[in-house]
Amino acid sequence: METRQVLRPLGSLKHTTPSSAVTPVFRSVASRRHQSTTSRTKKALKLPPHPDFLTPQSGQNHVIFNPPAAAPSVYHTPFKFLPKSDPRRQANLSQLLRSSSDLHTSSRSTELPPPMSKLEMRERKYNVTKEQVEEMRQLRAADPATWSVLKLAEKFNCRPYFVMICCKASPEHKEMENKRLEDIKSRWGTIRTKAREERQKRKELLLRGAL
Amino acid sequence: MKRIRIGQLSRQWLATTPARSPTTTTATTTASRVSILLLLSRPAPAPTALHAQIRCQSTTTAITPEAIFDEPESKESKEPPEESASSHQANSPLPSPHPDKALRSAKLASLHARLSLSSKIPLPTLARALVDPSADAHPYFNNANLAYVGASRLQYHTSEWLVTRYPRLPMDIIFAAMKSFAGEPALHRVARSWGVEAAGAPGEEVDPGYLQFAKDKPSVMMHKWGYARAEAKELVKYKWRRGMSSRVVFDDPFGNTIPPKKTNEVEVSDARNTKELLMEDAEKNAHANFVRAVIGAIYLHCGSDTTKTFVKSHILSRQLDLSNLFEFDLPERELTRLCDRENFDPPVARLLSETGRLSRTPVYVVGIYSGRDKLSEAAGANLLVAKRAAAINALKAWYLYSPGHVGLPSDTFAEDAAPWKPAYVDIGEIIS
Repeated sequence: METRQVLRPLGSLKHTTPSSAVTPVFRSVASRRHQSTTSRTKKALKLPPHPDFLTPQSGQNHVIFNPPAAAPSVYHTPFKFLPKSDPRRQANLSQLLRSSSDLHTSSRSTELPPPMSKLEMRERKYNVTKEQVEEMRQLRAADPATWSVLKLAEKFNCRPYFVMICCKASPEHKEMENKRLEDIKSRWGTIRTKAREERQKRKELLLRGAL
Repeated sequence: MKRIRIGQLSRQWLATTPARSPTTTTATTTASRVSILLLLSRPAPAPTALHAQIRCQSTTTAITPEAIFDEPESKESKEPPEESASSHQANSPLPSPHPDKALRSAKLASLHARLSLSSKIPLPTLARALVDPSADAHPYFNNANLAYVGASRLQYHTSEWLVTRYPRLPMDIIFAAMKSFAGEPALHRVARSWGVEAAGAPGEEVDPGYLQFAKDKPSVMMHKWGYARAEAKELVKYKWRRGMSSRVVFDDPFGNTIPPKKTNEVEVSDARNTKELLMEDAEKNAHANFVRAVIGAIYLHCGSDTTKTFVKSHILSRQLDLSNLFEFDLPERELTRLCDRENFDPPVARLLSETGRLSRTPVYVVGIYSGRDKLSEAAGANLLVAKRAAAINALKAWYLYSPGHVGLPSDTFAEDAAPWKPAYVDIGEIIS
């Protein structure tokens, strides 16, 4: 310990003096050992194992299952999709009981994650009557430019998809709309055209499950 | 020695419509006799160069291909055309190696050993399985008949495995899976993995251990189960739509239409070997037919149990990710229809977690719930993409349901088999 104390000033002196002037004896004393030796590194990295990996006090063997986060496999059929005859349905009694009490507790969804958007939680409405459908068709046939799908959906308080189920635009109107769309597309520059094409490709990849 | 009309039995294998069905006793006795008959089917050659005279160019003869294995006694009795035709073709080389060479081929013996084939399968049969109809058009010496038997066994075992293992698969996925297990490209890969090499050109002097086919010569189209549609021409010309249900009834096991027949002749006859039957990919076709022919030979010599084990270990053991075969059109709507049909609560997309909503690369994890049960989840770069991916995953989870290792219908063929327990049958795919 004392020698190190003594040698330390000499070691700092080494950096200031040119290396040619250093005598061999002096150099050997000055070469300080750092952490970067094998044994010291090993000793420094020697950590005790996580308590999970130690044998518990009871002495019983146990299995550690701690998989990394990954997308669930589609080959794991969710409990709800198992057919009635499947033995796994009977084996998983806790799920079975939970599903049976599902009916009573489905109204409160406090434990469930929040819905993706407000639209997800809307109820299905069957509010449009037969007469209203007739009226919708007449309006659409009479003046498709004024009574667009969105306008009709707003008027009859239903979804645009429902309007499109009910009404069919005339071929002239369709042609006009297509022409308008082509005009808009012709004004696009290269960047936007390419971006739209790539968006279309991404959509196809997604539907194929390749994205 | 009691004569058995093997012609009857083999004709039944070949005909599109079943001929008179032979008794089961005939079938069992033939299976044991087949090995002898195979060796005898080509007359034993004289020790020297005489054996070239016995064969003849098959194009000059008109042999009815009614039998895979014909009895030599009956051939001699009815004065086969080979003998008469051979006089003026004394020195013409054989189109494929003589069966006797098979016993001395190291390549063939090693292939036999590599495939762990039973000793019941003689080497000449394996050699015959390696001769494509394009190399030797004679139905007694090429593999067309063996391949036909093998194809039907292979397709049977593949389809029963698929249907019992994944009972909810839609029909087009089953067709695609059938093609990826038992179709031509897959069988080509299998033959390559068995270490089968193709000869440069077929001929008498080639080692019988090589696969022999000719690219420029017509091969025999593998006869397929199914019917040629009345509207087959219009399907090609006007691109008529054909529904999935009609494919089950009319088309071949892979859902492809069967080309209309030009003549009413039997598939493997020499007359069928016309120019129009030139294969577009002769190499793949020859390799695939070899695998089918080996399966056919195993079935004829060792029985159906061994065939099943062979198909299971060489074909069905190959990895196929069925979830990659799906392509959806409107996954969200299809899932809603499914929940309606099965009386589940309507599916709701819920946000499980998200990161970087205001950044350039956000990630959303969306789960789809029906009532309080989670059906699936998926991650995506925006909310709608994640929701759509989750709906796709839910549908895949529905379609890829598997009851696990349940018994196959062919298990009950064994003598001491347990009684058949009905497999799960799904009511059908979702119509949206």
